[in-house]
Amino acid sequence: MVLVLALGDLHVPHRAADLPPKFKSMLVPGKIQHVICTGNLCVKEVHDYLKTVCPDLHIALGEYDEETRYPETKTLTIGQFKLGVGHGHQVIPWGDLDSLAMLQRQLDVDILVTGHTHQFTAYKHEAGVVINPGSATGSYSSINYDVNPSFVLMDIDGLRVVVYVYELIDGEVKVDKIDFKKTTASST
Amino acid sequence: MSISPVPMEATMPETASCSEGPRRFGYLRGVQWRIDLGILPSSPSSSIDDLRLVAANSRRRYAALRRQLLIDPQVLKNGSCSPDVVMDNPLSQNPDSMWGRFFRNAELERMVDQDLTRLYPEHGSYFQTPGCQGMLRRILLLWCLRHPVYGYRQGMHELLAPLLYVLHIDLELLSEVRKVYEDHFTDIIDGFSFHENDWTHKFDFKKLPEYMEDCNGSESPVKINSLGELEPKIQTIVLLSDAYGTEGELGVVLSEKFLEHDAHCMFDALMNGTGGAVAMAEFFSPSPFGGSHTMFPPIIESSAALYHLLSIIDSSLHSHLVELGVEPQYFALRWLRVLFGREFALEDLLVIWDEIFAYENTKFNKPGTNDAESNVGVLNSSRGALIAAFAVSMILQLRSSLLATENATSCLQRLLNFPVDVDLLKLLAKAKSLQALAVEAINSTPLLILPRLHGRRNAGFTKAHIPSLDLTSPRTTLNMAHESYWEERWRVLHMEEERKQGSAASAEKQVPNRKKGWSERVRLRLSRTKCDPFRSKATFRKKNETDEGRKNIGGDVDFGHKIPAEVEEQDVKDTNFSTSETRCSSGCPGNEENSSNISDLSTPVRGTNDYVNMSGRSSVASNFSAEENDTDSVNFEPLQANPESSPLPVSELDPDDDTLNSTQNYHSVIKQAAGIKERKLLSDKFQLFWKFGRNINEGTSDRAAVSEDAIACDSGSDCNNVAGSSIVNGCNSTSGISKAEIIDQNLIFSLSDLGQSMLENIQVIESVFQQDPDQMGSLENCKNAIVGEGHITAMAALEELRKISNLLSEM
Repeated sequence: MVLVLALGDLHVPHRAADLPPKFKSMLVPGKIQHVICTGNLCVKEVHDYLKTVCPDLHIALGEYDEETRYPETKTLTIGQFKLGVGHGHQVIPWGDLDSLAMLQRQLDVDILVTGHTHQFTAYKHEAGVVINPGSATGSYSSINYDVNPSFVLMDIDGLRVVVYVYELIDGEVKVDKIDFKKTTASST
Repeated sequence: MSISPVPMEATMPETASCSEGPRRFGYLRGVQWRIDLGILPSSPSSSIDDLRLVAANSRRRYAALRRQLLIDPQVLKNGSCSPDVVMDNPLSQNPDSMWGRFFRNAELERMVDQDLTRLYPEHGSYFQTPGCQGMLRRILLLWCLRHPVYGYRQGMHELLAPLLYVLHIDLELLSEVRKVYEDHFTDIIDGFSFHENDWTHKFDFKKLPEYMEDCNGSESPVKINSLGELEPKIQTIVLLSDAYGTEGELGVVLSEKFLEHDAHCMFDALMNGTGGAVAMAEFFSPSPFGGSHTMFPPIIESSAALYHLLSIIDSSLHSHLVELGVEPQYFALRWLRVLFGREFALEDLLVIWDEIFAYENTKFNKPGTNDAESNVGVLNSSRGALIAAFAVSMILQLRSSLLATENATSCLQRLLNFPVDVDLLKLLAKAKSLQALAVEAINSTPLLILPRLHGRRNAGFTKAHIPSLDLTSPRTTLNMAHESYWEERWRVLHMEEERKQGSAASAEKQVPNRKKGWSERVRLRLSRTKCDPFRSKATFRKKNETDEGRKNIGGDVDFGHKIPAEVEEQDVKDTNFSTSETRCSSGCPGNEENSSNISDLSTPVRGTNDYVNMSGRSSVASNFSAEENDTDSVNFEPLQANPESSPLPVSELDPDDDTLNSTQNYHSVIKQAAGIKERKLLSDKFQLFWKFGRNINEGTSDRAAVSEDAIACDSGSDCNNVAGSSIVNGCNSTSGISKAEIIDQNLIFSLSDLGQSMLENIQVIESVFQQDPDQMGSLENCKNAIVGEGHITAMAALEELRKISNLLSEM
């Protein structure tokens, strides 16, 4: 029952002022065990805020981040799953599943979390899951102007992960859920 | 889990003193407690089968509960469809969502774990094992989930732990018995032994012949062939663990498998009270008890009841504690919430709980009690009374050390670090002897006591309100004084008018008194009977009492003795003193008159100065008033002929100044040989008086008290309370002290007049003393008492009076 929050592309303060209040009210400290951020926060204040939600924070470097010492990609293990984080602007074409799968194989992870497209997607393919949590603040991207704020919460339990995606559509929070199951236990 | 169980015999102390009759399963605490707590049928005729049935049902309930509440949200996901993801997602704010519940449980669990890790470290070999901890955690979680009102509070785990422990001990006993009487626990058929609890039968043919040989050549000393030959206790144990009885394995009363279920039932019963009065959960509840009319949490009420009981039993200690500002809940909270679990070692605690549970928990129904007099609900049963009595006996155990300290902190330290080497049986015996009293006390704890806490209801009774040691008491009494003061004033004025219209022979002054004692005393005087242990507790509300007293007295005026009456705002208290008593003018007309005088007096003191002066005057009498209002231990048995005491010349602060009058009256009174303890009257509790009197008269009053007591004894009263306590109404000493607590603003009185009259009174008294030997037979009693010590003390008191009056005259 490990809860992992995945979000990114906030672009605070350049393209957005803050997270939507409805999202902020949901992100109560104490419930979430890990936070994965795909990058482009951009300022330290956002980093601090995320730290209050959960002290275990993993960030990948986005092209607009002011703190340049974040790693470009990062891997971590939670329970039976290996997770990988990257921003995604390095993977061309942006948002292309096959290219992302290549990155996933490269990092050797079960779940790959990337962003940059500001669009929520979740793909499953034979080796694992590729998740894009979209933009948590709904900031515009170079390819898309009308963006709904969204983020992802993963509930990792044994060999099963349930992905809850939270989207703010027309002022209402919509939640959706996707189940993924891993076939074999990973060797640690 | 290998605590060596206490040997069989020692485990069951002979608690035959329990009035509830022989304990059927005294040697099996787990079973006995389950019966006492109401889980298993308690009628002596219920058979083992009945017990099994009930046990099985309760276990089923627990199992269902467990399944239902301790559910894992993940498990649900597989099976059922969670209908609405919007509601049921982990971040959902919705409190009903599964996740919400999950998080709340997690929070609860965290709190429980925090406490469990620190549970009974000295018995860690049992309590700190993961199996035991797991059981405790589940039980507590389940209970708290079922009772979200209370949530989890620290201390609940300490109530649960001994329950689990006794069940465990029973099982150990069972296994011991098994070892010895193995034959009865295993069916040996065809040479194979079918152990009841074996999950697999081991058919080991090779071992067969060896086994048979073992059986035959068993070196077990006990070889019994039939169940009937066993000792009854062993027989019961065997039956209670038989797996083939009613309800099969689920009904095995002494069962390891269902340890958790049973412990949960016991815990639930303990917390809920099973319909009785003492429900431990109430002690954890911050909100006022359902039926209570005070707005205080039950723990506060119970603590107040404890103090009330203490004041009945030992008012000097009580007043000492109150003066120091040691509020009962500071220590009683811990005592009551874990039923003394923290004060005693585990083995001792089990003995104590044996006793406590042996008493019935059914609520007392006081017919005709209207709600306004609702007593302390949570202790309102024999069991509750025993708990209160035990707490009081604990306090009494520490009596000498508590009286010796002048510091609230060290008092509390002593109370909270109860000595380890106490004679437990003695404590228990004392508690039992006090239990009957406690029942009375609890039934009559006036709600009025509680107002003292008024405005300080918060759990944290801050230090701020603790009066500083010495003089704060007066201040606190001052607070209380205020509300009654004005009422008193009004009443006094009112009475004044009436009186004036009436035809009081002498101006009567009523001395408003906080301390209840006065009317009480009056009554006592009149009744001169048994020593009543229920001294009026002076609670602050003496309004009724006062009125009554006043009425009583109203008519009789003819004394002219101005006996300072304590106008009692305060209720004296117990129903014991019925007003009828007061009226009893049985044979003590003189007394009555005196009393009436006193009551009628009402002259509000004007200004603090006056008060102070007055108080000075009242000196001794006030000394004791210093004692808290609550305790008043006035037990004066009216003396038959107490000439010395009788002249309590009261302050005649009377503008009319009947000084002469009073003197004359006084003589007449003496002649009447009414057994009055006039002195008593003087207890006025003016807080200011108190200040004065206390310092000055401490010694005097003590001595006076002694004499008073002596006299009292003579008269045949056995009540000797507070021997030596300064409480002894200052009255004694005040023979001659005129306590003029004048309240009447309208009256113009001159202090010098006062002093004058005081002097006169003193003279009178002195002459009485001197005349003592000459008195008539009716005074013989007094004589005896008076001579010697009494005499001396009285003289000393008079000296004091003299000094004071001099002071006053100078003004």
